[in-house]
Amino acid sequence: MNLGTRKLLDRSFTALGIGSIVIMGLALFVVLAPIVSKGVGALVFRETIEHRKLLFTEFHRGDARELEKERVLSNGYRQKAFDMLAVFDQELEQMPPERQEQYRESYDQTKTALRGLFGPLPGDTDPELARNRYGQTRWDKAEEKLHELLYEQKWDYSNPDVIAKPYDVSRAASFTGTSLVRLFPYVEQHLDKMLLPEWSFYWGFITDSSIDAHFFGGIWPEIQGTLFLAIGAMLFAFPLGVIAAIYFTEYARDGFLTSMLRSANSTLAGVPSIVFGLFGLAFFINTLHVSESKSVLAGSLTLAIMILPTIIRASEEAILSVPKTYKEASLGLGSTKWNTIMTVILPAALPGILTGGVISLGRAAGETAPIIFTAAVSVGTAIGLGDVLSSPTPALSWNIYNLASEHEAAAQIRHVQYGMVLALVTVVLLLNLSAVILRARISKKLKG
Amino acid sequence: MNGEIESNQGRSSAFIVSARKRKIQKLRQKTGEATLLIIASFVAIVVLFIFYFVARDAVPYFQIRGFREFFTSIDWYPADDPPRFGALAIIYGSLMVTVGSALIAVPMGIIASICLSDILPFNVRQYVKPVIEMLAAIPSVAYGFFALVVFAPLLQNSGGPILMWTWWVIATPFLLLAVIVASELLTSTIASQSLKKPVDIAVKALFGLLALLFLYFVGTHLQGLEIMSGTNALNVSIILSFMALPTIVSVSEDALQAVGRDLREGSYALGATRAETIIKTVLPAASSGILAAVILGIMRALGETMVVWMASGNSSHVPSPWYNYLESVRTLTATIAGDMGEADQVTGSARFHVLFAMGLILLVVSFVSNLISERIVVRQRKILSGQ
Repeated sequence: MNLGTRKLLDRSFTALGIGSIVIMGLALFVVLAPIVSKGVGALVFRETIEHRKLLFTEFHRGDARELEKERVLSNGYRQKAFDMLAVFDQELEQMPPERQEQYRESYDQTKTALRGLFGPLPGDTDPELARNRYGQTRWDKAEEKLHELLYEQKWDYSNPDVIAKPYDVSRAASFTGTSLVRLFPYVEQHLDKMLLPEWSFYWGFITDSSIDAHFFGGIWPEIQGTLFLAIGAMLFAFPLGVIAAIYFTEYARDGFLTSMLRSANSTLAGVPSIVFGLFGLAFFINTLHVSESKSVLAGSLTLAIMILPTIIRASEEAILSVPKTYKEASLGLGSTKWNTIMTVILPAALPGILTGGVISLGRAAGETAPIIFTAAVSVGTAIGLGDVLSSPTPALSWNIYNLASEHEAAAQIRHVQYGMVLALVTVVLLLNLSAVILRARISKKLKG
Repeated sequence: MNGEIESNQGRSSAFIVSARKRKIQKLRQKTGEATLLIIASFVAIVVLFIFYFVARDAVPYFQIRGFREFFTSIDWYPADDPPRFGALAIIYGSLMVTVGSALIAVPMGIIASICLSDILPFNVRQYVKPVIEMLAAIPSVAYGFFALVVFAPLLQNSGGPILMWTWWVIATPFLLLAVIVASELLTSTIASQSLKKPVDIAVKALFGLLALLFLYFVGTHLQGLEIMSGTNALNVSIILSFMALPTIVSVSEDALQAVGRDLREGSYALGATRAETIIKTVLPAASSGILAAVILGIMRALGETMVVWMASGNSSHVPSPWYNYLESVRTLTATIAGDMGEADQVTGSARFHVLFAMGLILLVVSFVSNLISERIVVRQRKILSGQ
């Protein structure tokens, strides 16, 4: 090969390396971009009057007089639409039965769509579920609902070779010749006056508890559960991990026992997270009976075991990075070994140890598999600090899974799911960021 | 005056150690050390406990149903009457997504780690490392959510074009390079200078045309692929590979750093380019460390639960043909997580214990591969320090 080709290959190799790193950066961006952009939508969105009604009745927030004014304003516009329905009802009764049948299905769909927009229609019985008691609380969702009202979705099965495609049929067209035709353009034109959307920052998303399985309200029970679980895990794992690290770095002599303990540590680090869950179920709940069934305690213990190796490794590194001269100076002054460790080595290593602790805290907060069988429930209210020993809790990580995959109306509450993911990712990344900052400080300090 | 002397004596007597005091001090030290040892061996105890308690609930399954069905049948109907517990398809599903993610993550990870340790200047490296750490820090359920809610619909609706464009973008530079190198190798045998140039151009044109045809045909084939469901093995493999990448990159970067400057400088001194130095000198020297990194990364993908549970489709069958990554699969981890909710009610049944049997398999595989990777790392360290 001549020199030119070799040079070319060398350049391409460099490009390949840089390319793969760029792809990793892009992947990070691609994953985070939708989570951040749509997650913010759970907090900042155009709320309709329905949302203000909901906040007022469920959480007693908002100005009653202002709300009443808005209610009158929007009801004025709504009433006209409801009147049109009443007129059509009478018209329907006078029709021959076969024509009634023709309109029946589409009319029911229209009513359902209207209920979705404005809540219960006049004459409806009071609905049991909170999700049916209010209309659309978010303007973006209301626009989707409007589309459902205006158009009927049909599926195109004409070509058997490809997957059926949906297409829209105007609903107004199917009511041609009746009085209901006027309803559709009316609602389309006056929707904003019927719902009175306003930009708002819904901070309650973080501090409110959820209403009707996350249809409305916030995610406080999940956030609190995650905090309990992660902090509980740290309470067990952190002291144990630091002490074990002290033993490994200061006392352990090279030998069979030490190498065995070390490989036990790396084995534990490699155990799949779901196996921790199985172990927690079999040991803490079914054998030790730390609680009746799932509980925060059992979950914390399981998570503690999972993060123990990380803490030990990070603490070991931190202790080893303390300059030897510190230790020698202390021992030279006549201090005992234990005294040296407690008063010289640990304080110097503390930032490094904390870094490891913070990263482990993030990992404990984000893990799902270990808490599925030991601590997490899908629906629940926030538990008090006194209940942590006996009761299970909802947690961010588990509820993201649960809402996205098992909720009966997962597609309707995507904004809540995005909000939850954003909350979890923010917590974990902030913890990691603070670890990075801590580490930068330490390396600066050690350099002098 | 007197008092001062006395107090001085009192102070100095604190430093004089009597035989008894010394004994007590020694004893204290010993007990302290023993306590530390006990706490440090807590980890080992936990590992033993994990093995014992998972195995304790796994063994009853094999006592009730034997080994044969579990490992040879692909019929997984635990809720039927009579139930069927054939886990072969599930084990295959686990293997499939693991291999798929390794195919993406291993080459990318090794190349990225080379880039980090040998190519990028230090100040750029400072900014790249946090990116990798963030990739590792994002919770698995967030990746799973992304795979299910963002990536799966995208793959389902426009998977063909996406695959085609990916193919074009990735394959074009490689093929271009291959054409140039191949024509170079062919023409290097020609001695006469006047003949060389036209032959070179002809060969390049011929190979280029062939490469273009190849690119085009594979591209159109990929574009024509119909993806029935976005929650499939391909989706999961791609997401898992990005979760395994940070492990592979950081461990193999350590291995590459451990090789040291002298080997590299020796190679440069002999006139090798950077790429040649890395491929022919550094990589062989670091190969065992990189192998350990690969094993750890693969284990991360095999043991991952949430992503596969949410986005693999969870249908327990062997895809047809067996390499069809566009079909749904079901993995061991997802089965454990998903079936426990129903099996939990009937503690003691085969349905409950079979999940522990799967857990035991995962545990044993992770234990063995961990031991292997640890051996490898220790051996490499010995070799490098021995030389």
